[in-house]
Formats: sequence, structure tokens, C-alpha cells
Amino acid sequence: MEITFAVLLWGVRIAFLVLLYLFLIRAFRTLQRSLAEERVTMAARSVGLAVLVVTQSHAGGPRVGERLPLRAVNSVGRDAGNDVVLNDDAASAKHAVVSFADGEWWLEDAGSTNGTLLNGTRVWERERVHYGDQVQVGRIALRLERVQ
Amino acid sequence: MMGRTGRMMRSRPVARLHELQLLVWVAALSITGYLAVVAAASGRFAWPELVVPAVALAIFGLLHIFLVSIGFRGDQLLLPLAVGLTAIGFVLVERLAPGLLLQQLSWLVIAAGAFCVTILIPRDLSALSRYKYTWALIGLLLLISPLLPVVGREINGARIWVGIRGIAQFEPWELVKIALVIFFAAYLEEHREMLSTPPRRIGPIPVPPVPYLLPIVGMWLVAMLVMVFEKDLGATLLFFGIFLAMLYLATGEPFYVVLGLLLLVGGGFVAYQAFHHVAARIDVWLAPFSSDLRFDTGYQLTQGLFSLANAGLFGAGLGNGMPERIPVVWSDFVFDAFTEEVGFAGALALLALYLVFVYRGMLIALRAPTTFLQLLAAGLSFIIAFQTLVIVGGNAKLIPLTGITLPFVAYGGSSLVTNFMLVGLLLRVSDITARVRG
Repeated sequence: MEITFAVLLWGVRIAFLVLLYLFLIRAFRTLQRSLAEERVTMAARSVGLAVLVVTQSHAGGPRVGERLPLRAVNSVGRDAGNDVVLNDDAASAKHAVVSFADGEWWLEDAGSTNGTLLNGTRVWERERVHYGDQVQVGRIALRLERVQ
Repeated sequence: MMGRTGRMMRSRPVARLHELQLLVWVAALSITGYLAVVAAASGRFAWPELVVPAVALAIFGLLHIFLVSIGFRGDQLLLPLAVGLTAIGFVLVERLAPGLLLQQLSWLVIAAGAFCVTILIPRDLSALSRYKYTWALIGLLLLISPLLPVVGREINGARIWVGIRGIAQFEPWELVKIALVIFFAAYLEEHREMLSTPPRRIGPIPVPPVPYLLPIVGMWLVAMLVMVFEKDLGATLLFFGIFLAMLYLATGEPFYVVLGLLLLVGGGFVAYQAFHHVAARIDVWLAPFSSDLRFDTGYQLTQGLFSLANAGLFGAGLGNGMPERIPVVWSDFVFDAFTEEVGFAGALALLALYLVFVYRGMLIALRAPTTFLQLLAAGLSFIIAFQTLVIVGGNAKLIPLTGITLPFVAYGGSSLVTNFMLVGLLLRVSDITARVRG
């Protein structure tokens, strides 16, 4: 009787410590899961607004017809760190910026060597881009399209 | 007002499954801990004694149902963490001071009510930032209230209580924390530009116009007054620490932090020389085992250190240690008592729970849509972080011991009520973020 009680009591004591850790692990997992969910929603959001459709390209560049998703602010260039990566010798590492502000899309040259063209005209300051407009970076042409 | 908030909240229930799941773990943890403590004290497994934790768990469950029923979309992790720590606190109150258990339970009811009130604050909490000077004034009034005759009282050498003898006592300082964080957040949101890009600079030192420096100096003065007149070292540290942390967050200027720390160290040094109660704390911290302090002012700390030393890796087992040898263990030394009985392993888990809480609070701050909400959430998380650091550090003799309570776990009505309001505000910030982001 005495011994049964002592064993039981120790069982409960150990169970408390184990439960404390299980609770902690659960809490950690909830934290980790919500961080992962956050990443997924961020990724989903990037395709929600608009895309750049590749209309003209060359071997080694993006495939014609490929749809490049846009976020609120996108850097465009040859560098792998850009939001829109264009593998083209004539494109600068950081070439241009396409952004969404005040309900409109805007195009800005980021100090590129060969310049950025909007419907065939060189962009000198921030210019408005309408859906269907043609953006040329190096030898690659892109068309802004709304995502339905 | 209830009707308006009800509409705003779009009162369609929303399932909160993560929260519910974690609450089930809290229930298991609470019952097990309570069972061990009661069995160790009475020598048998007594089911009727489980009424108190059952009532506490019912209150936690009601809070969850309340959040579900108003369609609350805020964070699902903070409430279970707060409630889990509170449950551990109840186990420790039963272990260390069973006579105070019912009192603590009634405080929990009030805390739950206060939590619901903060959840129902209308709209986007903008009322908090709009009336910032009102909050500052309320904070200051609460801060000096223990100094007033009739209602103010001095307990254990600190004049930080308000109450009527024999009925109820409240530590207004606890509420001051929240009022001041609201004020700091609103004030810094308004003036951060001027503070972070001042018109003049002398070398690396920014020189904002004098009116902008006044609040920093003013805060320092108030903190020093608290130390001198209310003899509350912990409040001084916490108060000024939170202010400096929020100032740095808002401006990104290390200079202000350096200036603030120099002011604090300078003030502390003068206080050490001039005031007996400050000097006593420091002396005990430096040498608690010295022959003239060991059985005098150093007694509490030395007993606490013995308690920690006996903990080992897994502790003595709940109800099997001797933490009752530490004077006022249930409010000042719960960390040592908990560690003695569940060991290093348990203490580590407890600290990790605080870490997750603070990390989560900081994430809420990062995502919040406005500067005010960001600073508010960060400041509230800082309160928990600083308090844990200051009291655990004090218990372990890393820093001078102060009268700060271990959040949620230590016995104490005022701190329980305030901490639940704090959780409510953090949840509100995350709810606003979720609604803004859609």
C-alpha cells in the first residue's frame, strides 16, 4: 500500500515534467507552423496582382509566353536576387523596378547601362504602365497583364 | 457600446483549433501538477481537492469560448502560454501557500474579466493613442498613489501598495506599466522623426531640440523618485528599461540608450551612497553569505540559493523539496521553489515558455500595421521579458534582488490582472493585423 502510493506519486511527478515539455514542444510547433503558413500566404500574394508575360526572348533567356508573377514592388535584372530575373547580356544586374502604388503600376529605370523601354520609348523617370503595355529590357520584351 | 463593438467584430464564430489543442495540454499539466502537490502533502490521492484547478481550467475554457464566439481572429498561441504559466502558478500557490489559493482564484476571475474588457476595446485601439496624455496622467497618479496618506501602505519595506487594511490591497505599479507603455508608444510614434533625425548633430551625437529631450529627463526623474520614495528598485529598473528599449526601437539611435544608461548608473550610484534601502540590496547581492548578513537581510537570498543548489537536474519532485524555508517564497522566490522541485530541466522549460511568449509578442509587433501598434506590442512584450529577466536574475544572484514578480506564475492579484490585460492588448494588436491583411 505504502509502496504503491510512493510509486504512483513519483509517476505523477514525472508525468508533470514530461507534460511540461510536451506543452512546450506543442507551443514551439504552433509557432513554427504559423511561420510556415505566413511564408505560403506571402508567396500566394505575389501572384495575386499581375504578371509580366514574356513576348520576345532569345536562347538562354526566359521562354516566350512565360508568366512572371509580380508583387507590390519588384526589382528586375540579371542578378539572381531580383524578383524578376532576366538572363540577358544586355540587361544590368539591377535593371529596373516595377511597382504598384496608388492603384497603378509604375516602371522606373534603376540606372541600367542600356536603358529600359516602355512601348519603344526610353524611360527616364517613373512612368505609368497600363495593362497591355510593352516593357523592353535588353533583348527581352515583356507585357503587363492582369491576373483574373 | 457593447452593441457597436459587437457589430464591428463581425460576430460570426471562428474556430481556434490550435488554441483549443494547447489548452488541453494545459489542463493535463495543471491536473498532474496539482495532484502531485496535494498527494505529497496529504499522503493520499484526494480528488475533491482538485476543485480549485478545475474551476481555474473552466475559466480558461470560458475565455477560449468567448474568443471563438466573437469571431476573434488574433493570435492563438499567447493565451495558452499565459494560461499555462498561470496554471503552473496555481500549482505553486497550492504547494507553497495553500491558504492563499482561494484569494488567487478570485483574482483570476477579475483577471479574466479584465482580459475580456481589453478584447472588447472598440475599433483599432486608436483611442489609446489619441488620449495619450490622459494615460500618462493616470500612470503618474497611480505611481504616486501609494505615497498618499490613508490609502497608501508600506509592506516589506516597499511603499508600493494601495488598499484598505484587511480588505484588499493592490499594487498600482502593475497597472502603471501598461499605461506607460501606451503613452510611450503614442508619444514616440508622434515624435520619432524629430528624435531620430534631429536638425543638429555634434559628431555622432544627435541634439534634438530641448522640448524633445524633456521626456527622457522627465522619465529619469520619475524613475529616481520611485526608487527614493517608494523604495522599489525593481520598478525603477523595469520602468526605465522599457522606456529605453522603446526609445531605441522607435529612433534607432544608440546614443539615447547610452545617455539613459549613464543617467541610471549615475542615479543608482548616488542612491547607493545616500539611501540605506538601496545600499542594503546591493550589499546583500554582493555578499549574501557574509557573517553579518547571512541571518539578517541576506537570509531570504541565501535560503533561495540553497534551494537552487539542491535542485539538480530533475529536482526533488513536486512537493518533495523544502522551498518553504525561504521567507515569502510564494511571491518573491517562486522560481527558486519551482526549480528545487522540478530541477534544471523544469526551470529550462519554464524559461523557454517565456521565451516563446516574448518571441511571439515581437512577431506580432513586426507584423502590426501602424507604428503605434508596433511600439505597443513590442513594449508589452518587453514588460514580460524584463520582468522575467530581473526576477530570475535576482533569484539566482546574477543581479540585485528586487520585488518584481515572475509574470503569471508568482502569487499576486495585481500582477495577474495586469498581465491578463497585457495579453488581451497583444491579442487585439494581432487581431487588427489579421483584419487589415485580410
